[in-house]
Amino acid sequence: METAQANSTSLRPSRFKVAKFFAALAIFGALSAGLSAIKFGAVSPDDFPVNTWTSWAIKEFQSRKTAPDVVFLGSSLMLVPLDGVDADFTDKRIDGALHHKSLFFEDKFGKYTGGQKVSTYNFALPGEMPSDAALITKFLLKGQKAPKVLVYGVGPRDFIDNTLPSPAATDPFRYLSRFGDWSDRVSLIVPEWQERLNYELGHLFYPYGNRQQISQSANKKVAGLLDAIVPCPPDRVLSFKDAIALRRKLVPEHNPFEINPDECFFRPVTETPRPGFADNVAEYAKRYKTLKKETFEGQMQFMADILSTARDRNIHVMVVAMPITEVNRKLLSDANWELYKTRLRALADHYETSFYDMHDSGLFAFEDFQDTVHLHAGGGAKLLDEMARVMAKDTATITALQARDDAQDKQLAGRKEQPL
Amino acid sequence: MLFNSLQYLVFLPTVFLLYWLLPQKARVPLLLVASYVFYCSWRPIYGLLIFGLTLGTFLLVPFIEKARLSETGKHIFSAKAWLTIIVSINLLLLGIFKYAYFTLDMVKGGLSLAGIDWKEPHLHIILPLGISFFVFEFIHYAVEVYRGKPVVKSFMALALFAGFFPTQIAGPIKRYQDFVPQLTEKFKFKWEYVDEGMQLILMGLAKKVLLADNLALVAQAGFAHPENFSSVDTLFITYAFAFQIFFDFAGYTDVARGSALLFGYKVPINFNLPYLAHNVSDFWNRWHISLSTWLRDYLFIPLGGSRCSLWLNYRNLFITMALGGLWHGAAPHFLAWGVYQGLVLILHKEYLRLLEFTGIAKAIQNNPTLAKVYHVFSVICTFHIVCIGWVFFRAENMKNAWDVIGKLMTVPAELMHFSLNQLTILQLRDPIIFPALIILIPGLMISHVVVNWLNDKSFYKNPPWAVQVGVMVALMCLLTIFSPDSSPRFIYFQF
Repeated sequence: METAQANSTSLRPSRFKVAKFFAALAIFGALSAGLSAIKFGAVSPDDFPVNTWTSWAIKEFQSRKTAPDVVFLGSSLMLVPLDGVDADFTDKRIDGALHHKSLFFEDKFGKYTGGQKVSTYNFALPGEMPSDAALITKFLLKGQKAPKVLVYGVGPRDFIDNTLPSPAATDPFRYLSRFGDWSDRVSLIVPEWQERLNYELGHLFYPYGNRQQISQSANKKVAGLLDAIVPCPPDRVLSFKDAIALRRKLVPEHNPFEINPDECFFRPVTETPRPGFADNVAEYAKRYKTLKKETFEGQMQFMADILSTARDRNIHVMVVAMPITEVNRKLLSDANWELYKTRLRALADHYETSFYDMHDSGLFAFEDFQDTVHLHAGGGAKLLDEMARVMAKDTATITALQARDDAQDKQLAGRKEQPL
Repeated sequence: MLFNSLQYLVFLPTVFLLYWLLPQKARVPLLLVASYVFYCSWRPIYGLLIFGLTLGTFLLVPFIEKARLSETGKHIFSAKAWLTIIVSINLLLLGIFKYAYFTLDMVKGGLSLAGIDWKEPHLHIILPLGISFFVFEFIHYAVEVYRGKPVVKSFMALALFAGFFPTQIAGPIKRYQDFVPQLTEKFKFKWEYVDEGMQLILMGLAKKVLLADNLALVAQAGFAHPENFSSVDTLFITYAFAFQIFFDFAGYTDVARGSALLFGYKVPINFNLPYLAHNVSDFWNRWHISLSTWLRDYLFIPLGGSRCSLWLNYRNLFITMALGGLWHGAAPHFLAWGVYQGLVLILHKEYLRLLEFTGIAKAIQNNPTLAKVYHVFSVICTFHIVCIGWVFFRAENMKNAWDVIGKLMTVPAELMHFSLNQLTILQLRDPIIFPALIILIPGLMISHVVVNWLNDKSFYKNPPWAVQVGVMVALMCLLTIFSPDSSPRFIYFQF
């Protein structure tokens, strides 16, 4: 305690030539290696300390027995219209935490193909960057869980976001990075020296690198101990929902990304024109302020990684340049806008993926948006209808959907022939 | 650059290695450059402010000495006039940067009371980090020269005195007679510097990251939403803040002292088990010692100190503490905290007079058992008196302070019908610091007693090797595991 400071000013000769601090550091290093060997405090990657949009999406995907045919990737530009459209389509409120499919798209695709059934999975997440989508593709969309088609809706924000310190700063990254080794892309994910040092220290010292998991385990144990020693009085025990409501009120900064079932709904809307246009020009002016070369090139590299991984796994990809309003578009310089479009198209060509520029399709008007970038459910219906129409006609997509079916049939048939 | 940042983790070892690798004569310049790099890493432009103030003080203070020593008396200004000029310049700068908004608010409030609607000018002033600390160091230097101490001949020495990076932002407020002579000492590297320095740094970071930052969650919730907590909850929350501010500031001081020690420098201590104080006067001998002694030497004594009539003594105490409160921040609640401290110090003196007058003091003194019981009682009372003061200190504004004080006033009534059911801190199970308070607060109180006992047994003078190493390993483990991705700034950075 503070008396240490009161008394430590008298320096004493040490009996040992090596500083005690370095002895302590050496012991800590050895301890760290020992803890690493026994994987001290390790928790399963899907044992999430806090539920977020990302955790719910991962949990449901992991619990599926079969792979979906089509997986949607993207940021809120994809998420908001997809969920909103299903609310209108089913005329029921959609729980954002638990709804991970596009019923509307499945229906439309069936109609455009004359009855072909497809299953979908919505892996679009708020704030998802190509770096996050790359981790989803690499770590989760594999083996038995690899879809046949990947639809990735991108916007310029995904490559030019000045408000994002680094790819490692997103909520999706926090959880997705647990599922595999991303050291091959460390220079892109933690480009800044302090973050890089943090990463290297984490590698050097096991307790530091795994502090989230270890502290999560420790917290659970302490919480259990506290429940035994100082339990909540029985008649004041709150329901899960009320406990979270109380915590959010009293400690709003704690677990800022947390979301739980029954908290975020997309409700059916019938009014025309739809109510409540939100002006987010100021927010996007900040996001687009300058085109940081490292951010742009880094995210383009992740985009390439997605396409490359998908190609290796025989997943057909459709890249969709999402529509945004002209107001938002004009926040970007013409040169930057062109750069974004050109590079996107070049990548799609290079990896022989389907590319559809929804922004230039002429289908979307200002009235289709709920703010300057997000389509509302009405605009979203147009988007998904058009996607379903285009994909139904896209030979590569149809081939992928059928080819994989055949391959899987053969695989299953082959298995049946094997003796048990 | 924060002490609890990765930047500092790189900066400190780099400066440490360079310092000990370079020849003696290059070390002070290195520390000066490092200190300016440290300061300018926040806002480079404010490096000019500290440099300008140092230069001004360096050039002007010798005139005090010249005027003082002048036998002919033909100097343009007297020593007192020079001192007034230097102190005024320093206070003016402090006033502009720290109190401009507060003054405008006060003027506006006053005018609106008089029915005048005045639109105050919009200022864009950002408070330079550490200004309150280095201004106080310059004033101390000028006053000491005025009192007959020698001037600092080297600009570099004076610049490093104020700019020394470990103490630059939040003290401890150094005395130049103690610090400047160290600059000419020829330090030889000793492993003890590393041992003692790193122990202090680790201990300081642990106080900040493990204790203060967690307790901050409780204080934040309790002061933002007092209506959601019962009176007994509020008492726990007040205790939590008392320990938060202690561990935050004592943690900072430990890191500062440890960092200085890595280069062989000693800076003054700031805390000495403050919550074991047995009266408020004793508290101020143990809390933020470098500030309280500064206030004593350069405000209380010049005002007349205690060698005057009782009422003048009380006036001096009151003014000193009120201004001490205002030094912490330009806001009414800081002023209220200072006023409260002044009042409780005066009441304490009156209380002592009453004990003397009634003969109770003598009776207690003559009975060892009673003296012990009375001591414990005094420590508990003092702690609670200090805690009430912290409410003013922590509150967002005066209304908030009164809301919390109002709750605390009803604690005795609530205790009459107390049941655990009343405690919201038990209801809120996440973050776990809330229910843990029930155990943690008594634990922290007991730890003060244990540390005091160890101190009495001279444990800290020669702790066993294994204990020292073991404590460091344990702290390294705890700090690496429980270090958050980002830790809030130290509280005293804002002053």
